[in-house]
Amino acid sequence: MPYDAMTDTSDEQLLAAYAAGAPGAARALTARLGPLAFGHAFRMLRDRAEAEDVAQEALLRLWRAAPGWREGEAKVSTWLYKVVSNLCIDRMRRRRGGFAALEDVAEPADPAPSAAARLQERSRAEALEGALAALPDRQKQAVVLRHLEGLTNPEIAAIMDIGVRAVESLTARGRKALEGLLAPRRADLGYEDD
Amino acid sequence: MRMTDRPSNEEGALAPWFAAGREAAPLPSGEFMARMEALALESQPAPRAAPAAPARQSRGPGRLLARLRAMGGWPALAGLTAACAMGLWIGAAAPEAAVDWVATATQEQGLSGLDPASGFDYAMLGL
Repeated sequence: MPYDAMTDTSDEQLLAAYAAGAPGAARALTARLGPLAFGHAFRMLRDRAEAEDVAQEALLRLWRAAPGWREGEAKVSTWLYKVVSNLCIDRMRRRRGGFAALEDVAEPADPAPSAAARLQERSRAEALEGALAALPDRQKQAVVLRHLEGLTNPEIAAIMDIGVRAVESLTARGRKALEGLLAPRRADLGYEDD
Repeated sequence: MRMTDRPSNEEGALAPWFAAGREAAPLPSGEFMARMEALALESQPAPRAAPAAPARQSRGPGRLLARLRAMGGWPALAGLTAACAMGLWIGAAAPEAAVDWVATATQEQGLSGLDPASGFDYAMLGL
């Protein structure tokens, strides 16, 4: 049976099959985890080429860890988020001397010209990304994992190697900062009409 | 996820911004995915070898062993060997004693002393 069709197969079972050399497991795992790794890296770095580099490095580490993976030790997705997050934080710290200004946020490069609503939604997403870039790295990491990736606080705590209370504190401070950064954009981006 | 652990419970005025951010999920390119799949295949361990099939035994010993098992295995063979050795020993070392014993038995009891079936049994059978 092709693994792609086995939607109820857990990531951990797929990884065990991959380590055993099962045909189809590599394709299924890549299809599941490739977008996750790339998506999280892109949200953190806002650069497609860098996000691809990070995702590739994280996936390569996962393939190498597969033969020694112990069942029940960790969720594969949590492990991958952690590796991607750490690689992104390293890059952010290397390349950035200070916080990015919200005014530096680029306009959408290729919006659908005929769909005004979609353009506005895209602009809102871009504004959010710009505001996120202005947060301290750890706050941004916690807010992205919580509000864009939709993870639970305990999962984020495991990824960031901190306690749940610390996660709650980081996300609360991050949200407060975002409110301040985005408030001036509400009228521009149509939120006064919502 | 518990109801109280939903991110939406905490988002407040930021909810529409986060919704827009989730909607604009960045997707990897097809070229990147193809490259990742090739990398995964390249890094995948070789399939684990199936347990080696037992080597096929040659025909002769296999048959002999099967027959030996049918007879009762090695204990039966040991008993058979001991009986054969005893027979050879009796035949080679004391044939005269055996002849004497047969003669004595015949004189004392007649043939019925050696014959497992008695004269009465033959009579019952009408022989």
